Amino acid sequence: MGPESPFIPYLATLKTATQLTPDIKLLSVELEDPEIRASFDYKPGQFALLSAFGEGEAPFGIVSLPLQKDGLEFAVRRIGTVTRALQELEPGDTLGVRGPFGNYFPLEDYGGKNIIIIGGGIGMAPLRPVINRILERRDNYQELVIINGARTPQDLVFQPEFPIWMETPRTRLELTVDRGDEHWEGRVALVPDVVKEVAPSPDNAIAIICGPPIMIRFTLAGLRNLGFKDNQIVTTLEAKMKCGLGKCARCNIGEKYVCQDGPVFTLEQISQFLEQP
Amino acid sequence: MNLFASKDDLIRWLDSLLEKQIVIAPVRVQEQTMFQPISKVEEVIFDFDNTTLSPKGWFLPPTETLFSVQRDDGQVELVPALVEQDAVLFGLHPCDAKGIALMDSPFLQEPGDALYRERRRRTALVGLACRQVQPECFCTSMGSAPDDPSNVDILLTEVEDGYIVQAVTERGKALLPQGLVEYKGKVPTPPKLQAVPTKEVISAMRELFNDPYWEQLADRCLHCNICAYVCPTCYCFDMRDYADKGKVERVRSWESCQSPGFSLTAGGYDPRTTKGERLRQRFYHKLLYFPEQFQDVACVGCGRCVRACPVNIDIREVISNLQQVMEAKSGS
Repeated sequence: MGPESPFIPYLATLKTATQLTPDIKLLSVELEDPEIRASFDYKPGQFALLSAFGEGEAPFGIVSLPLQKDGLEFAVRRIGTVTRALQELEPGDTLGVRGPFGNYFPLEDYGGKNIIIIGGGIGMAPLRPVINRILERRDNYQELVIINGARTPQDLVFQPEFPIWMETPRTRLELTVDRGDEHWEGRVALVPDVVKEVAPSPDNAIAIICGPPIMIRFTLAGLRNLGFKDNQIVTTLEAKMKCGLGKCARCNIGEKYVCQDGPVFTLEQISQFLEQP
Repeated sequence: MNLFASKDDLIRWLDSLLEKQIVIAPVRVQEQTMFQPISKVEEVIFDFDNTTLSPKGWFLPPTETLFSVQRDDGQVELVPALVEQDAVLFGLHPCDAKGIALMDSPFLQEPGDALYRERRRRTALVGLACRQVQPECFCTSMGSAPDDPSNVDILLTEVEDGYIVQAVTERGKALLPQGLVEYKGKVPTPPKLQAVPTKEVISAMRELFNDPYWEQLADRCLHCNICAYVCPTCYCFDMRDYADKGKVERVRSWESCQSPGFSLTAGGYDPRTTKGERLRQRFYHKLLYFPEQFQDVACVGCGRCVRACPVNIDIREVISNLQQVMEAKSGS
């Protein structure tokens, strides 16, 4: 067996690590091999497996856009041994990258539509490249509404980008938290309630959601009440993953492998799975 | 053309094979029959019931290193594990050969699993037809047969004084010794097996996903995972890093969908929290998802899980129960 093994990660260097929230860091990563770096192409919604050597490997959405000068970016929330080890890496340290894997948000198909993006907590991570791609090609889309919730104000991810998201024409950013603090003057409400309040129209619209399962469940109910059809609602599924190649069968849900057939599915597709995620 | 090898011919041939490559064959280990690399031909058991573990472990070992991580002065190098030796897997029954053919589907599908592919490429398969079967055997219901030559390079069939030798592939032909004579005797009739009718099972499974049957069946399951470990086609695996005395390796090992936590995400979410959901996954993967993906049922009828299960969960009974539940539904 030579280096063609699909289990051998590309080596990469951590360029910068920025604390985004108390438990989420933005890791900016550069692939070591210049040829691989030049050919590593991906789309919003795809993911990669990051290795902290000695601790293991875990899947993360790629939150940057291809050809971004800062390299590949990942928002890593400290939640287990691998994420802790990734957060402890110092700039200059080596990590592993395998990918890109999975399908992506078909943003070309959404041209000319109103887009509603609904994210909760670290669920904003896979939505960030979607937002930035839409802003980059702003004229291709109609209204963009971003509803972003977190437990507390300091848990809101990607805050440095909020001014840009807010100032772009025909773009609204609606922030909400479960619990405020002494500085917070914004909304204190759950994401599904904000969806009800903002009440986006289903006409010519696509809603893209990512967040904790409970937020998704109530948000879906709210969107359906507003008249959204299941083929207008898109999400990205979280699943236990090991190989990323459709072999280890860990992410198998019903007839689907989240790592290969997903992670992006419409609600219409999910409702046809034999087993529900 | 069928050839004939006397028992002495066979032993001499195995001896000569052993000089050039690894030979994996059924041997007795602590009252179990297992496929293991042999050091001398006398260890080989020629007359055996299905081995305790299937020979899948030669291609997908219970644990194996995928690569090791070497650090030198801050520089990291990943050193892939290698498969460097040729091998002969000797004496596998047709059901086990079918099991390997089924494992090829996920592992050889691009991007191919390099270690598996290399072991497959470097290993010749010498099958042994079953002259007798066990009560739990049902290979003929799962697309194979006690004398099925389709997934081996050479098939041996025991007859009086020796073996009928059937070279199935060119590789098999090349492996055989010179000077074997043609076999002109009768080819023995293979033993008869009980039939497990699989009619309508796939459509039954589409209907019965949410049936209470699965929780009832799983009530007695101990989630001990033995069914997955003995199974020739169960292939789910885990990957972890092990660090010991400065040595870091990424290791793959067998895993089973019956384990609690098999599908638990870091965030604490698990789509299968009950034993019923997990046991259902085992049967759905074998009898519905795998066939939809690779056009064949992921069961070879070897009977190992039936023999090994400490609480008598029996795949033959599950298939027949599903048919009964369906009949009851359509009748009502």
